Formats: sequence, C-alpha cells, structure tokens
Amino acid sequence: MKKILLCVLLFSMNSTIQAQGCSDAGICSAGNSFQTQEHEHKNGLEFGSILGAGEADVRYFSPYLTYSYQFNSQFAMSVKVTYSQASGEFGQRGQFGDAYLIGNYHFKTEKPKKWSLLVGGKFPFTRSNLKINGYSLPLDYQASLGTFDLITGLNLNYKRWDFNTGLQLPVYNLNRNSYFKEYSGTDDFPSTNLFERKPDALFRTTYTYQTQNKKWTFKPNVLLIYHLGEDSYETIFGKRENIDGSDGLTLNGNLIGIYHFNKKNSIELSIATPFVVREVRPDGLTRSFTAGLIYKTAF
Amino acid sequence: MKKIILITTAWLTVSACQEEGELTHDKVIAPIEASSVLVYTGDFSPTSGINVSGQAKIYLEGTKYRVQLEGFSVSSGPDLKVYLSKSASPSEFVNLGNLTSATIYDIPQSVNPMDYSHILIHCQQYNHLFAIAPLTSN
Repeated sequence: MKKILLCVLLFSMNSTIQAQGCSDAGICSAGNSFQTQEHEHKNGLEFGSILGAGEADVRYFSPYLTYSYQFNSQFAMSVKVTYSQASGEFGQRGQFGDAYLIGNYHFKTEKPKKWSLLVGGKFPFTRSNLKINGYSLPLDYQASLGTFDLITGLNLNYKRWDFNTGLQLPVYNLNRNSYFKEYSGTDDFPSTNLFERKPDALFRTTYTYQTQNKKWTFKPNVLLIYHLGEDSYETIFGKRENIDGSDGLTLNGNLIGIYHFNKKNSIELSIATPFVVREVRPDGLTRSFTAGLIYKTAF
Repeated sequence: MKKIILITTAWLTVSACQEEGELTHDKVIAPIEASSVLVYTGDFSPTSGINVSGQAKIYLEGTKYRVQLEGFSVSSGPDLKVYLSKSASPSEFVNLGNLTSATIYDIPQSVNPMDYSHILIHCQQYNHLFAIAPLTSN
C-alpha cells in the first residue's frame, strides 16, 4: 500500500509536465476493453467523464458511455460513444466524437496465463472541421480526428500483471479540417488543413492490487504509444507536406483506483500524465494531465 | 438509470454548441486604402446550381496585394474558401482562407498575383467549385 501511495504522490508531482497524454478514447483505452464484467451479469454499462488540460491552456471535458454484452464466457462485445468539449483562446466547442465497436475474445488457456484478443473499429461523428463563428479550429478543438480506424489488440494476463499490445490503423480518412496557422492569429497550433494521420502502436503494462476485503482495487500502469510515421497536411498552395517531428514515442503513466460498492457497481478514478512526448503533436493529442471519474454497473 | 442516461443525453445535445473566444471574434479588417491601386478585376459567374453575384478586385497597397469581394453574394455552402488560382479549376492555387463577411483577403507576400488568372470560391469539404471570376488587368 505504501508503494501505491508513493506512486500517487509521484504522479501528482509530475502533473505539470507539458506533454502528450491520451486524448480520444481510441488506442489509449484499448486495454480496458480486455476486462469484461463478472460473468454472472451479461450486460455492463459504463459512464465516464474525463477532465484534461492540453497545450496552450486548452481544457477538455470528455464524457463517454459504454455498453457491453457478454455472449458467453469467452466472447463479449462493447459499444462506446464519446463526446468532447474543448475550451481555450478559440472559445468553446463541443460535439459527439466517435463511436467504437469492439469485440473481445478470451482464449481457453491454462491458469495462471490468460490470453485474449480484441478487434474493433472507430467510427467518427465529425469530419474534424468544426468551426466557431466561421473560423477554422485546430485539431485540439475537434471532437474526432475524422478517421475510420481498425483497432486490434492482444492481452496476456499473468497473475497480477496485464500486458497489452495494440494497433490503431486509420483505414479511411474523412478528415476535412481547414485550420491554417497563417490565418489564425496564433502560433500555438500547427496547420492541419486536410490532415492525414499515421497509425499508432501501443504497449501497456498494468499491475493489479486488490485489498483483502476486495472493496478497493488499484491499477498503476505504464502506456507506450508509438506513432508510426509523420502526419501530413495540405499547405495554402495545395501541396501536401509531412509534419516534421510528428512521429515517435509517447510514454504515459496512469493510476486507476476502483471502489466496489458490491459485485454489480463500482466507481473508478483514473489519473494520467505523459513523461515522454513527440516533438510535434498536430493531432491535438496534447493532454498534459487527465483525471477521469467512471461509474460501472452490471445487470 | 434511465433518468441518468436521458439527462446526460439531453445535456450533451444542448451543449453541442459553440462559444466565441478571443481568436474567433469578428476581426476588424483594415479597409482598402484610398491610395491603393486597382490592378485586376473579375466578375463572378456561378457553376451549375449555384447563385453568385459581385466582383473580385485585386489592389496593390504599398508593397502588399489585397483581394476585395465587392457587391458579393453566393449560395451558402459548408466550407467555402477563397482561392487565387492559375486556372478556372482549383488545381494550382493559393488558399486565401475561409469565405467570411470580411470580404477582404491579404495575398501572402511570397505570391505574385501576376502568376494567377482567377479568383475561385470553392467548397473544400466536399470539393465542389461554387464560383469563378476570371481576372483582367486594369
């Protein structure tokens, strides 16, 4: 327990780091989809609300709703809908972001090793070109990146440890963002006109500690995201250009604390901050700190 | 639980709105100076199914070129841009920004308007050309 408290303290001390955290609920939350509710309840409902702070004093409020259904002891599916509201110098803009459909298959393996597979997709509600008063907004203010993504992942559970790998692959680009730094009045955000993004690869390690009375669970975890290539945009001259430094590694720390009211209901607090970030983050994934409160129920 | 979902959905629907900020208030754009020299003029004509009226004029103001849309109106579109283009189609162009009520657009210093022949109004989001103004020298 002392170690856990120490972790919490260290996270708090590092919360001012200006760096990239997880933004939308894409690959960053893929690991959570491996964990399904107790098998005696087929239905699960999760309502989360995440507050975040990003670059240039942009603040985020990102609630989401997830419904999951356990078909049998091995297979479950979940549907998730996200909303995002950003506030900053450009004003305030909120909109539904993406829908996720994720399937989760648990292999029949001998204990203590348990393997599971995750396959799903992300479907955007916007083309990432929301405006305020006719002014184009950077991706930091967009509720979605405007891409249809394939999400795959593999999880190994070994005793108290979980090891997740994942891939988020944009397969169809609907992004029609029209933000130009040249015409915006600020240098805080790079131009992202007709933005095209590259895939992300994920690796997450989670340690699970549960108190003896099983009322509390703590899950410190480390999340590595590698952006597999440089993103690109179309200049004011209609020429496509790569964005230097937009590829590379992001390393996030995340601590989850869960209180179980009973076998059906629980509430979860999740705080996260990045320690290593990419040089440039045109996709607006610039959270320097996030705090989420999540309520889960099974029925 | 139903009430929670209903209230949440209603709240999110209501809050799917926008609020202006420091960078998105209507900007005060300096008018074309009286001493500016009119160098190019073009009358707008519409593409199929579009209504447009007005003129595009390019002025030289000191060392800076500026575009002004005069008596201008066009059918509404979701993502209209003003292009300075080398032809009547948007293939080689300079995107001067969103079409707004401002009607005056600065041409970047690195651009020589003599290399361009048209002002276009183009919907970028759906890649649809709305209006064309061929420029003639004054």
